[in-house]
Amino acid sequence: MENRFAIVGICPLPEEQRERQYRWQRVKGVRPFFAGTVLMLVLIVMGCLLCDLFVTKDPGYLDLHNYGAPPDREFLFGTDTMGRDIFAMIWYGGRTSLTIGIAATMISTVLAVVLGALSGCAPSRADKLLMRMTDILLSVPALSAVILIQAVLGEADVLSISFVLGITGWMSIAKVVRSEVRQIRECEYVIASRCMGGGFFHVLWKHLTPGFLSSIMFMVVMNIRNAIVAESTLSFMGIGLPAEVVTWGSMLSLAEDAMLANAWWIILIPGAFLVVTLLCFTSLGNHLRRNVSRGESNL
Amino acid sequence: MAGSRWDKIWYVGKKLLTFFGSILVLSVMVFSISRLAPGDPLVSYYGDRAEKMSQGERAWAEEKLGLHEPIPVQYVRWLAGALQGDFGISYKYKRPVVNVIGERVGNTLLLGGIGFVLIFCLALLLGIWCACREGRLFDSVICKIGTISSCIPEFWLSLLLVLLFSVNLKWLPGSGAYTVGQAGGWVDRARHLILPLAVVVLGHLWYYAYLIRNRILAEMRADYVLLAKAKGLTRRRVLFRHCLRNVMPAYLSIMAISVPHILGGTYVIETVFSYPGLGTLTYESARYHDYNLLMLLCILTGILVILGNQAAQAITEKRIG
Repeated sequence: MENRFAIVGICPLPEEQRERQYRWQRVKGVRPFFAGTVLMLVLIVMGCLLCDLFVTKDPGYLDLHNYGAPPDREFLFGTDTMGRDIFAMIWYGGRTSLTIGIAATMISTVLAVVLGALSGCAPSRADKLLMRMTDILLSVPALSAVILIQAVLGEADVLSISFVLGITGWMSIAKVVRSEVRQIRECEYVIASRCMGGGFFHVLWKHLTPGFLSSIMFMVVMNIRNAIVAESTLSFMGIGLPAEVVTWGSMLSLAEDAMLANAWWIILIPGAFLVVTLLCFTSLGNHLRRNVSRGESNL
Repeated sequence: MAGSRWDKIWYVGKKLLTFFGSILVLSVMVFSISRLAPGDPLVSYYGDRAEKMSQGERAWAEEKLGLHEPIPVQYVRWLAGALQGDFGISYKYKRPVVNVIGERVGNTLLLGGIGFVLIFCLALLLGIWCACREGRLFDSVICKIGTISSCIPEFWLSLLLVLLFSVNLKWLPGSGAYTVGQAGGWVDRARHLILPLAVVVLGHLWYYAYLIRNRILAEMRADYVLLAKAKGLTRRRVLFRHCLRNVMPAYLSIMAISVPHILGGTYVIETVFSYPGLGTLTYESARYHDYNLLMLLCILTGILVILGNQAAQAITEKRIG
């Protein structure tokens, strides 16, 4: 009897058939790629945090007898053109790179949440103005803006570069926050809280943030990635951190000398660490995004 | 009919007004930020001599370059000159800014323009192809490559290509736009263009291809596709006549917005390859406080950004209208 009306209406593709279509990406529910990248990320972060324990060399020491030495047993990853040990620099530099990524993301996220929520709660004219401003800022090529601001700020240090990357990276998150806040600001619990005298930041933190946190998490993780890329690009170009402050980007700023000496390890190893870390963050971000969209689906 | 004509004029007028208003705001912002920043523009004009100057000499030099006045006065003076087509001289090159930029703009347009067209066409092809083979090996591989390549910073990709193709294999030149002393030969230009172009295309292609793919996939799940199929249209016809038609406006508007992004990307690549274009020039002028040069470059970039946005808006509005 159940199949009597089956001929009427759309017949959806059987679930197992769709699953089979994606068999290349998934092995029995576990995503090996995702698991691998998370493991990798944990390893890299732990390595950077605990590098005092296993790194025996000073990353700032200029060993002038052994400059540009290829990787061997003593210098695991070789030395750069200034005679510094690359193995030590990788871990200490990773520490700085990750710090900049996370600090910049914190600044941009706080800015995005506050501005987005303000715009979402504001009367429509102010909202329009704020959003127009966001759109304008969003359309400026990000790296050019960063280069310009950093160039006029002068000599960069870890804090100033995080600040510049933070204030140029909040726009897309703010847009999402705003549209989410617009949806939940009329909810009874928000109105109740305001009637009881809850201030803007109280309502924002206690009632609004839990509502949109899951949908911006993916962008926050991606922001860490973008900040690390931007920092390394700036440092590489010589506008970011000076070569004495070791980061993955500033290690690559010696690339020109390395190119002359055909010293592939100076270019390849820091870059490989950079790319692997970025890949891990991307994979994590994609995982978060997939989970968010899974939550909204009704299937 | 008359009403609609006035509407049209009003529409165009509004766009023009926004355009010039934005340029004006941009110029004020760049002008004040660059001048308030620490740094000595005299160094870029006089080189190391600027540091040894006495107080009197400094004052004389500043007056000569018009730097002694308060910033608003300087701005008005600059604006008055700019409206007459005089954008001042570059401190570093000691020639009119327009000439300095004019020499290099062709190189950037060549690199960015060819890159843009290649990205536009290849992304469309790849996106359609992937969408047709959704979930199969080809699609998965392309998507994975896209994810991985989105994590490779452009400057590192450039370094790798230079290391491989020009240092080790010695197939292609790794820097500049032409061999010194041989400007003009087309083969030489093309050989110098290959590596930067490869980085421009590889850096952006996957993002747009992925975008097209996802849009087409969403479109394929729509009801009208089912109807078209039920009508007996072939797969190819449904895809090209119906799905693609719905996807194109969104793609076009996104590509319009991305013009400045792709050009912004070439700025970094130009610096790595020491390619004499606007990117290297912007970088130098920001670094050495070459105010007049920086102003014009920022305004050119701004014009591009605003035009791209307005084109995108016009496409969307036209579709809604």
